Amino acid sequence: MRNFVLRRLTFSIFLVFLSSIVVFFGMRAAPGDVTTQLVNPANSYSAYLVPNLKHILGLDKPLLSQYFSFMGNTLRGHPGISLINGDPISRIIGSAGLETLKLGGAAFILTLVTAIPLGILAARRHNSLLDQGTTFVAVLGMGIPNFFLAVLLISLFSIHLRWLPAAGSSGIRFLILPAFVLSAEAIAITLRLVRSSVLEQLSRDYVRSLRARGLPEWRVVGVHAFRNALPPVFALIGTLARNLLAYTMIVEVIFRWPGLGYQLVQSILERYYTLAQVLALMLTVLVIFFNLLADLGQQFADPRVREGGRG
Amino acid sequence: MSTALAEPMEVTPEANRLADAFALVRRSKLALLGGVITLLFFGVGTVGAAIVLVPSLQHLYLDQNLIDTLKPPLTGGHLLGTDNLGRDLAWRVAAGTGISLLVGVAVTALSVVVGMTLGAVSGYFRGAIDWLISGLIDLTWGFPLLLLAVIVVGILQPGLTSVIVAVAVVNWAGFARIIRAETMSLREREFVEAARALGVPHWRIILRHVIPNTVGSTLIMSSYYVAYTVIAEAGLSFIGMGAQAPTPSLGVMIFSGRDYLYVDAWMAIVPGVAIALIVLGLNTLGDSLRDVFDPRLRRF
Repeated sequence: MRNFVLRRLTFSIFLVFLSSIVVFFGMRAAPGDVTTQLVNPANSYSAYLVPNLKHILGLDKPLLSQYFSFMGNTLRGHPGISLINGDPISRIIGSAGLETLKLGGAAFILTLVTAIPLGILAARRHNSLLDQGTTFVAVLGMGIPNFFLAVLLISLFSIHLRWLPAAGSSGIRFLILPAFVLSAEAIAITLRLVRSSVLEQLSRDYVRSLRARGLPEWRVVGVHAFRNALPPVFALIGTLARNLLAYTMIVEVIFRWPGLGYQLVQSILERYYTLAQVLALMLTVLVIFFNLLADLGQQFADPRVREGGRG
Repeated sequence: MSTALAEPMEVTPEANRLADAFALVRRSKLALLGGVITLLFFGVGTVGAAIVLVPSLQHLYLDQNLIDTLKPPLTGGHLLGTDNLGRDLAWRVAAGTGISLLVGVAVTALSVVVGMTLGAVSGYFRGAIDWLISGLIDLTWGFPLLLLAVIVVGILQPGLTSVIVAVAVVNWAGFARIIRAETMSLREREFVEAARALGVPHWRIILRHVIPNTVGSTLIMSSYYVAYTVIAEAGLSFIGMGAQAPTPSLGVMIFSGRDYLYVDAWMAIVPGVAIALIVLGLNTLGDSLRDVFDPRLRRF
């Protein structure tokens, strides 16, 4: 087990290093840089301004040394200042990260709080109206793309009923729609998993014994069967977190929620690569971290799962 | 004479499988629904692709009429209504479906070719090459498509080509994983061993004996992956990373519809329903194909 953790950890660190190279050199290969944004090409002094600006910003140094100073500064927590409004990038990322954490956290909690009880209930009342209803909604939830779901919900709750704001991020009421849209698919997946996992436990012999001993039904299902049904759900949590993080990019853009995903999309659309590469690297590191978590969760849930063919 | 004896033995399981498939399709109305919607997707998509690709037909979805804007469906010669510039939504949805089809098929074809080649090579030869390729699969597999796509778009330019590259860069790993696993079990089977004993070269064994036996799972996965790609393309176009404004991608159409929700929700709902139907049809078809090709997973 310890060996496995160590090996996975080394692999993850190697991945972080690899993605830093891809992100940095990839974004440098992209057409144009920040000087094309800052200097109007029609400006008659641009032939003079651009090289000067490049020198000040260190963009005329060899690419490799730029990479090392970029990585050094990022690791020390000072990735530079925004050339658009002068804010330190670390502050932009801090506030965006907090917003993403709020949204992602809310969606995550919402997923567990809805999917687990509903999944247990659906398994308990197997083939009932409730079971079939939740299965149907779950299939629907997995089929409707989240950006369209968002448009439908905005249309219903913000425009027709006027209950909730359509976009923005100044208060708990602004959180409800995006958190729900973000978690919709995760709820559907988790619900189906909890349902099938509990259902499998309910057919086991120990459940029959517990019932025969006269244990109240809620204890049989809610405590004993549920506890044994948990491992696959644990194993899913890392993957769930990773997918939620990836979807924040779409959901944040729809609801203009100023989180990491929104900032990344904006900075790419504005060709603002300094911020884009820090954000891309950060999100990548988070994904690698969640993948590590998923791997370890899988291992924790089922010791039979050993790393496949690779030594 | 011996061939005459051998033939029925070879044909029977195939015939059974075909009969099985028909029985299943007839029995399961859902499978039929999935099939019909998918056929419709291909039909409308082909027409749509034609009107997008042939310049003299582009007027169908580009013609503006600023008097008849934001009409609901079934009004004045517009089957699905018009958008904020008075363009016909039915033609626009057809064109958007065409783009979804083109991107979906292009990405899936690319991913199948790459995934099948790498998966088969990796599963067949094992050893160092397997170590390398499965490392690559692991690396790609765990990476969320959206994040990678946004990074790829950052490196290239926003546009459909970037979307195709980005989605294919992720999706090949899904195919490679399954093909590799199947190849690993196929290479131990007697007919492969027999071919090897006869001195058939490795590439020929892979092409003639291994790959044809993985067609079933590739087909099933393709239908899921086309659906997945349709969503990804629309999503990326929705956030401005994919197709750009005059191109009638379904994602772009929902995005522009979002600004007119206060006036008329149809402009966003019509393309949204189109995407939901495409995805539903392909997924249902995938499920029923899986039931036919992989009886272990059959649920009745």
